[in-house]
Amino acid sequence: MSDETPELPQGPFARWKMRSRKKVADSVAKRIVDNPRLAIEVQALAEELDERRVEEARDLADHSTPVAISGLRADDPHLQPLAKNPDTVEGVIATLFVLGLLLMAGFGAAYVLNAKPWILGATMGFGLFLFGVGLVAWGKYLMPRGPFVEERHDLASSRPERDAFAAAIVERGGGLVKRRKVLGGILGGGLGIFGIVAMFPLLRSLGPLPKGTLFHTDWRKGSYAVDSTGRRVSVGDLAIGGLVTVYPEGTQNTDRGQAVDQTVIIRISNENFVTQKGRETWGPKGYVAYSKLCTHLGCPVGLYEQQLQLLVCPCHQSMFNVTNGAIPQFGPAPRPLPQLPLYIDASGYLRAQNDYDQPVGPGFWERTTT
Amino acid sequence: MTSTFLRRTVLLGAIGLFAAGPVVLFMGSAGASNSKTPLQTTRKNAGTPNSSNVVKNGKGVVVKYGDKYITYVTPPSSLDKLGEALFMENCASCHGTQANGVPASAVGAYPDLVGLGPATIDFWIDSGRMPDKDTAAVEAPRRQPALTPSQAEAIAAWVDSLSPSYPGIPTPNLNKASESEGAALFALNCAACHTIEGDGDALAFSTFAPSLRHIPAFQVVEAIRTGPGNMPRFTGNLSDKQVDDIVKYVTTEIQHPENPGGFGLGGLGPVAEGFIALLVGVGFLMLICYWIGDRS
Amino acid sequence: MSDATIPTNPRARKRAEGPYGKIGKALDELDDRLGVARGGRTFMDKIFPDHWSFMLGEIALYSFVILLVTGVFLTFYFVPSSSVVIYHGPYLPLDGQHVTEAFESTVNISFKVRGGLLMRQMHHWACDIFVGSLVVHMARVFFTGAFRKPRELNWTIGLTLLILTIANGFLGYSLPDDLVSGTGIRIAYSILLSVPFVGSYLAFWVFGGNFPGSATIPRFFILHVLIVPLIILGLVGAHLFLLVRQKHTQFPGPGKTEKNVVGTPMFPVFMAKTTGFLFVVGGLTALLAAFFQINPIWQFGQYQASRISYAVQPDFYMGFLDGALRIFPSWEFTAWGHTWPLEVFIPAVLFPGILFNLAYAWPLLERKFTGDNELHNLLDRPRDRPKRTAAGAAVLALIAMLQIASATDVIANFFHLSLNNVLWAMRVLVIITPLIAYPLTYKICLELQGIKRGGKRKTPNVVTRSVEGEYIATPTPTYSEDADHELHATPVPTFIEDESPSPAESGVRTVER
Repeated sequence: MSDETPELPQGPFARWKMRSRKKVADSVAKRIVDNPRLAIEVQALAEELDERRVEEARDLADHSTPVAISGLRADDPHLQPLAKNPDTVEGVIATLFVLGLLLMAGFGAAYVLNAKPWILGATMGFGLFLFGVGLVAWGKYLMPRGPFVEERHDLASSRPERDAFAAAIVERGGGLVKRRKVLGGILGGGLGIFGIVAMFPLLRSLGPLPKGTLFHTDWRKGSYAVDSTGRRVSVGDLAIGGLVTVYPEGTQNTDRGQAVDQTVIIRISNENFVTQKGRETWGPKGYVAYSKLCTHLGCPVGLYEQQLQLLVCPCHQSMFNVTNGAIPQFGPAPRPLPQLPLYIDASGYLRAQNDYDQPVGPGFWERTTT
Repeated sequence: MTSTFLRRTVLLGAIGLFAAGPVVLFMGSAGASNSKTPLQTTRKNAGTPNSSNVVKNGKGVVVKYGDKYITYVTPPSSLDKLGEALFMENCASCHGTQANGVPASAVGAYPDLVGLGPATIDFWIDSGRMPDKDTAAVEAPRRQPALTPSQAEAIAAWVDSLSPSYPGIPTPNLNKASESEGAALFALNCAACHTIEGDGDALAFSTFAPSLRHIPAFQVVEAIRTGPGNMPRFTGNLSDKQVDDIVKYVTTEIQHPENPGGFGLGGLGPVAEGFIALLVGVGFLMLICYWIGDRS
Repeated sequence: MSDATIPTNPRARKRAEGPYGKIGKALDELDDRLGVARGGRTFMDKIFPDHWSFMLGEIALYSFVILLVTGVFLTFYFVPSSSVVIYHGPYLPLDGQHVTEAFESTVNISFKVRGGLLMRQMHHWACDIFVGSLVVHMARVFFTGAFRKPRELNWTIGLTLLILTIANGFLGYSLPDDLVSGTGIRIAYSILLSVPFVGSYLAFWVFGGNFPGSATIPRFFILHVLIVPLIILGLVGAHLFLLVRQKHTQFPGPGKTEKNVVGTPMFPVFMAKTTGFLFVVGGLTALLAAFFQINPIWQFGQYQASRISYAVQPDFYMGFLDGALRIFPSWEFTAWGHTWPLEVFIPAVLFPGILFNLAYAWPLLERKFTGDNELHNLLDRPRDRPKRTAAGAAVLALIAMLQIASATDVIANFFHLSLNNVLWAMRVLVIITPLIAYPLTYKICLELQGIKRGGKRKTPNVVTRSVEGEYIATPTPTYSEDADHELHATPVPTFIEDESPSPAESGVRTVER
C-alpha cells in the first residue's frame, strides 16, 4: 500500500506525467546546487514539515472518523471550528457583513437618487456578494467542523410489506374487474375517448386549418410593386447593382404583406434579363424579382452582393445566384427562391405579371412542386 | 513493438484528420477561393441625380445638385492638373494612364474608372482602400488612407473631367435629419450585411461587410450612393432625405451607442453573451464552489 | 400543560417554561398543531456530503430563485400584446416609430422604470447561468454515475428540467418582439412546418395561423410566465424531495460506505453555507447585470418580418440547434406527392430528439450493458468507468462543435477567413471531434487509474544529500501511508458515546477496464 516511488505505468500520457514530475524534482535539486544557502533553508523546512506532518496526522486521526451528530460531548473535537484562529476569522466575517450591509444601504440610496443602472447593480451585487461570502465563511470556518455521519436506512420496504401492497392492488383491483368485466371495459374505453375529446378545444381552437393559405401570396396580375413607404417603384429607380424590398400595393404595412409577400427587386443589367428558359419576359430592363423568404427557414434574404451576384441569407448563410433564377450555390437552402414575373407598364411602373408559380418560403409536407 | 507502432500510427492519423478542419480553413483563406473571379463591374452613369436642385455650368455640365438634405459638389476643374499628376504617380500603374483599366485577368481586374463619378473615386481613396496593397486579395479592406482628402478630391476631379458624371462629393446636412427614420431605414436596408449594431460581418467567399463604427458622415453617403465593391447601390429607391436620416443614425447611435446596460460586448450579440455567462458566470461560481466544499 | 397557575416571580416563571425557554414553548405550540418536532429534528440532523461538485445543482437552483424574483418584477411592467402603438419615450432613435406594445413596454422597462434595466439584465443573465450550470451539474451526475439505481427517476426529472428551461428561455427572450428574437420565432415556425405529415397543422395551431400568427406574443407570455414555471417548480420540488428521501450520494473515502452519509448537518452548517451561496449567486448575477449589457433590444428595433440583421445567433443554449441547421446539407426531396424537408427536420427535430431520448434511456442502457442492478450510493471516479466517461466526453465534444458551428460568421469575421471554408471546416470537425474524443478520453482514464494521485499536479520532492555532496530530488507521494480509498475499520475512541459504525460493506473502489 505504501510506495516510496510510484511505479511507471504504460501509456504516453502517464509517462509524460511522470517525466514532468521528475523534471520538477530535478530543477529543485539544481536550484539547491546553485544556491547552497537554500540547502539550509530546505533542511529547516523539512524539519518543520516533519513536525507539521506529525501534527496533521494526529489532527487527521482526531477528525477523520465521522461521528453521528447527536449525543456528542461539548468538548468533542468534531464540534470544534475549522479555523485555527476563530477570533480572527470572526473579525473578518464581521467586516464582510458590515461592508455588505453598507453596500446594500448604498443600493437603497442609489435607488432613491435614481442613479444609473450600473451603480444600482454594482452596489447590490457587491453587497450581496460580500454578505454571502461572510455567511459561507461562518458556516465553513466557525461552525462544527465534523465530519458527521448518518446511517442510510433501507429505502426498500420489507418483503411482507411489499407483498401486502401488491396483494391489495392485485386482489382488490383484480377482483373488481373480474366481477364487473363489462363495467371495467366500458370505463376504460370511456376514459380513453373522453381524454381524446377533451383535447379538442385545446388543439383545434388554437388556430385555423392551413388549407391553401401557404400556397399563395397577395401578388396578382397587375399588382404595383411598392416599397416600405408605399411609393410605387418605377423603371428609373434602380441603377445596376441596386436592390429594393417591395410588397404588393396596399400590403406594405400589414403582417401578411411583410411576412409572406415580401419580395426583392434587383437590377442586374440595362436590358431584358433572362434567368431561365421559359422566363424570357420576367426580367424587363434588367429588373429581376425574387421572393425574399428564404426557402430554408423563412428568414428575409436581404443581403445582396452585387459583384458576386449572390443573395445571401443572413441566418444560416445560404447563397443564391441571382443570374440563374436564385439557385442555391452553398448552404442549407434546398430550393431556389421563387421568381416573380415583372413587367413595366406604360407609365414606367414595375408591376407583377402574376402570382409566384409555386409556394414561397420553407418546405412543408403538402408542397408538391420542386 | 508493432503494437506500439500501430497505436502511434492510428493516433497520428486521427490527429491528422482532426487537424484537417483548421487546415481547410487556412488554405482557403489565403487568396480567392471561389471559382469565379470577382469582377469589378464597369458602369457608366453611376447614379441618378435623384434630387430636385440641379445646377449646371455654362457648358451644360452638372456641377452641383442636391437639396437641403445633401449637397453634391463636383470638384472644380482647377484641381485637374494636380489630380492628373497624382493619378499617374499612384494609380496609373494598375488603372492605366487613361484610367480605363485592365480587363479581367487571372490575378484580378483593374477597373475602368471613367464615368464613375467623383464620389466613387473619392470614397475609395479616402477610405484607404486605394491605392491597393494586396491585389491578390478578394477585397480591398479599409485602411489608413495613403493620400490626404484634398489629394483624393484632386484625383476625383481629374478622373471626372475625362467623362463628367454623378454623383458628386456629398455633404449631408445632419441638422435636418431624423434619427428615428434613419433607424427604421437602417434596419430594412443596411442591417442585413452590416448587422443591426453596425459592426460588420463575414459575407460569402472571403468578402466582408465592414464595421461602421469609424466612418465619417460624407463617406456613408458616398457608399450608399455609389455601392462600392459588393455593396448594392441605392440611387432612386432612397431619397436624399432618407439617406440623410440614415447618416444621422449611423453617426449617432451606431457610432456612439448609449449602452446603458454596461459594456457592449463588441456588438457580437448572443455569441459573446454565452461566452461571458459560461466563463465568467458559471466558471466563477464553480470556483466559489471549489472554495466552499471539500476536495477529496 | 395548563397555564392556570403562572407564577409571578421571574425565576419561577423561567423554570416553568422549561429548559429551552420561550423558543421551546413556541415550538411546543407548533407541534401541538402540526406534529413537526420529530420530523424537524430528523431533518435538521440530515447530513449533506461536502464535496464541491455537489454544489453545482445549487447554482442552478439559486439562479432559478433569482429568475422568479426578477421575473415577478418584470411581469408588473411588461405588456404582452401585439397591438401597434407609436413610441414616444426617452430613447430617441425609436421616437415616432410603429412598435408593438410588447416592444414598447420592454423599452420602457429599460429606460423609464427605475431599476428596470437592472432587473431585465439580471433576469437574462440568471437564465444563461441557469442553463449553463444545469449542463455542468448534469455532466457531474453523469460522469460520477449518480443516476444509477435508485436515482433514475431523479435523472429523468432533471433532464426534463433542462428541456423545459431551454424552452422557457427561448420563450422569454422572444417576448420583447425585437428584430433578433423575432427572427428566431420565424425559424421556430418554419421548424414546426417542416415536420412531415402534420407540420402545417402544428405550425398553424401553435401560432394561430400563418406567420406571424394572431396570438404569438400573448401565448408565449402565458407559457413563459405561468405554465412552464409551474411545471418547473413542481419538478424542482420533486427533484429535491427525492434528494432528501434517498439522501445524497458521496464519493468513496475514509469512513464512507454504501450505508451511510458523511458530511455536515443541515442546521446550522449546511443552511449557513447554502444561504450564503444564494447571496453569492445573486450578487454575481447583479454584478454581471451591472457591467455587461445583454440583449439591448432598443438597438435592435421592432421586429418586422421583412427586416433582418446579420450575426443573429440564438441565445447560447440553443446554439447547438443553430449550428446543426447551418452545417446540414440541403437534403430536401419531393416524393410520393409530398415534400420532405429533411434539411430542417433532421438537425432541428430528429437530432435533438434522438439525443435527449438517448439521455433519458441512459440509466436503462447502462444497466443492460453492465448487468449492474445493484443499489449505488457511492459515486464512481470518472476514470474508473472509462467507457461511460469517454461516451460523455464524445457527446460534449459534439455539442461543443455544434455550438461553435453556430458562430461561423463571427469566427470568419474575427479571424478574417472565408465564410464558406469555416462552414466546411465545421462540417468536418463535427464528425471528427467526437470520434477522436472517445478513444482519447478512454485512454487517459485508463492511464489515470494506474497513477497514484494521478489527477494532482504537484507532488512534494524529497531532497536528499549524498555523502559526496550531491543533491538528489525525487517526487514522492505526500504521506507514505497515503491510502487513497482503501478503507480499514477505524477503532472508535471510547469517549464518544454513540454506537460504533458497523463494518458494513466497505465501499472499496471497483475499477473497470
